[in-house]
Amino acid sequence: MAEKKSSIKTMKNVITVKDLYRFYQVGDTKVKALNGVSFTIRRGDFCSIVGTSGSGKSTLLNMLAGLEKPTKGQVVIAGNHIEGMKENELVRFRQKHIGFIFQSFNLLSTMDAVENVALPLTFQGVPEKERKKRAVRMLKLVGLEKHLDHRPTQMSGGQQQRVGIARALVVQPEIIFADEPTGNLDSNTSAEVMRLMQRIVKEHNQTMIMVTHDNYLAQFADRIFHIRDGKIQKIEEKKKELEE
Amino acid sequence: MRFSDMLKMSLSNLWKRKIRTFLTVLGVVIGVASIIVMVSLGIGLRTSTMEDLENYASLTQVQVNAPFDTDSSSKKATDYYLSDETVERLKGLEHVVGVSPKLEAQVVAKFGKYIANYSLQGLPPEAIEKLNIKIGEGELPKPGGELSFFYGKFSLQDYYDPRSGDMPFWEKGKTLDVDLMSKPVTVYLDGDSYTSAMYGDGGGEDGPVKMPKKYMIPTAGIEEGFNDSESDYTATAWGIYCDLEALKEALKKEYKNKVIPGQPTSKTGKPYKEIFYNTLLVDVDAMENVTSVQKAIQDLGYNAYSDAEWIAQEQNSMNMIQAVLGGIGAVSLLVAAIGIANTMMMSIYERTKEIGVMKVLGCDMRNIRTMFLMEAGYIGFFGGAVGMGFSYLLSAIINQLVMNSDSEFGGMTISIIPAWLAGLSLVFAVLIGMLAGFFPARRAMKLSALAAIKNE
Ligand SMILES: Nc1ncnc2c1ncn2[C@@H]1O[C@H](COP(=O)(O)OP(=O)(O)OP(=O)(O)O)[C@@H](O)[C@H]1O
Ligand SMILES: [Mg+2]
Repeated sequence: MAEKKSSIKTMKNVITVKDLYRFYQVGDTKVKALNGVSFTIRRGDFCSIVGTSGSGKSTLLNMLAGLEKPTKGQVVIAGNHIEGMKENELVRFRQKHIGFIFQSFNLLSTMDAVENVALPLTFQGVPEKERKKRAVRMLKLVGLEKHLDHRPTQMSGGQQQRVGIARALVVQPEIIFADEPTGNLDSNTSAEVMRLMQRIVKEHNQTMIMVTHDNYLAQFADRIFHIRDGKIQKIEEKKKELEE
Repeated sequence: MRFSDMLKMSLSNLWKRKIRTFLTVLGVVIGVASIIVMVSLGIGLRTSTMEDLENYASLTQVQVNAPFDTDSSSKKATDYYLSDETVERLKGLEHVVGVSPKLEAQVVAKFGKYIANYSLQGLPPEAIEKLNIKIGEGELPKPGGELSFFYGKFSLQDYYDPRSGDMPFWEKGKTLDVDLMSKPVTVYLDGDSYTSAMYGDGGGEDGPVKMPKKYMIPTAGIEEGFNDSESDYTATAWGIYCDLEALKEALKKEYKNKVIPGQPTSKTGKPYKEIFYNTLLVDVDAMENVTSVQKAIQDLGYNAYSDAEWIAQEQNSMNMIQAVLGGIGAVSLLVAAIGIANTMMMSIYERTKEIGVMKVLGCDMRNIRTMFLMEAGYIGFFGGAVGMGFSYLLSAIINQLVMNSDSEFGGMTISIIPAWLAGLSLVFAVLIGMLAGFFPARRAMKLSALAAIKNE
């Protein structure tokens, strides 16, 4: 295990999912949110998960991010079996390896853009000066150099989501999860944000997994997972040339 | 997460909800102030009571007397006369730091047509010193040399006209107008004989009593507030004191080979060579040892008396009062603690989502708990600090009011806040705050991150 951990950067398969099930008991009925899912995701992949409402997209994503425990099956991220981790271990794991972008941005309303972006660094114990420097750099990267000291309420939805993206990327995670990151944005802004994410992720060779129910937005990804009734229907490979 | 960042973050969380924080802090302010003020009243009451007690009694002294012997012919009685040997013996007891003998003589002083009866007290110099008399004029009686008297402040109140029986002070409030310091006082050391000679029924078997010798005794000093009946009562107010050795000499000369009144006699009715003491004053090293020393002396067969029991009782009731006062204060702090817990709970419900997001972003669970505890601790700290200042103010106001009132506490500092009380209350407030925040903080820590982000 220790060796595997140390070789994260060079490993090809960054996520391996095997026979993943997630059932919910609602009254007398058993809801099969995930009904046997297996796949692998390679380093640097930009994947999107599409499917109709209730098909199990969010459930899958949450399980990959370690926010929810599977009923059965394995989730191996960067060589670590996260299905067996305790909550504390998961937090530390997320701190190191994972960035998260929310649909409703979830910025802290009392903090300005820089402070919001610096928040994950604060949790890591990075000194104030450095985290500020890194947060500002990140905000410039997402094109918000003019809004550094703006509070969330003083920004548009698109701007807020850029802050959210900057916050997810500031710790330089290997994997970024996003659940409907453009769900609260209009289509123009959505496309803009998608392009931004696509660019940054490619530049840093980061892996990104995004849930959406918008087929158009899904096209920004290299691979598209179509999901239905808790099962993967097909995996669409868009840029075969990258693999070779 | 850095400690300083956690401190900053929890502080800004409080700041975000100013009004609620203010109200919660206000609750703690009232709680802390009431605890401090209540306890300060208890302390003030205790201090002034103890000061009072010290005026009435020596708190570390045991008085020893010879056992009352109804049968003076019994062989044992002679063993219990209070002699210099007894003094040495009692000095050997544990916790005893000093033993002073006291010899009393019934004397009569004459001021013109008035006379006064006194029980003159002869003490060694160190014992006179220990009476803690505030000297008004002159000095304490010096050892060696001729006999001189020191007068307590009310000692001149008991004069009367032997012919008419008038007592001008008690009947009309008139004080005797004599200047003790400049003129010696006419004294009959054998007071009994003087009375008998003057007004006796002609004496007993030996014929009429002869008038005893008259002495002119100079005054060594007088107590502060002399003849001022407004002045506070002291244990020495009605006493007249002189040096022990000087008194012994004078008595030996006065009575020659006769029996000194009050002194024991041998079986044949002859006086002993030695003069025995009336009382031994035993000084104990500490108040809490007084009872045990008293017991030890009683076990030796003497009569021993101290104020320990009475003082213990007095202190007990002080403790009770203090406990009740402290309890009243504690209740209001308890209410404040519930206020803190309530505020923290509300804060968690409000911030469920925020906490979830923080967890997803990699905030350690224990850091979340710590930040909540800090918030509660801050409330306790601010409340404690302001409450402390407030209680000093209240205490000053109470003291001012009481000082000017003519109640039984008039003129007393009734509320005393020692530094330890203020400091302890502050620490206590922080602890109470953190205790109140403990369960809310644990709850925050255990919030599911998923549930938090799911209810979008
Ligand atoms: N906590 C839960 N308890 C019971 N059933 C649940 C729970 N969470 C999800 N489900 C069920 O699991 C299924 C998959 O839910 P999921 O949230 O993954 O859908 P989704 O694909 O993200 O849909 P949407 O596009 O609307 O967000 C749904 O049928 C849902 O009702
Ligand atoms: Mg969903």
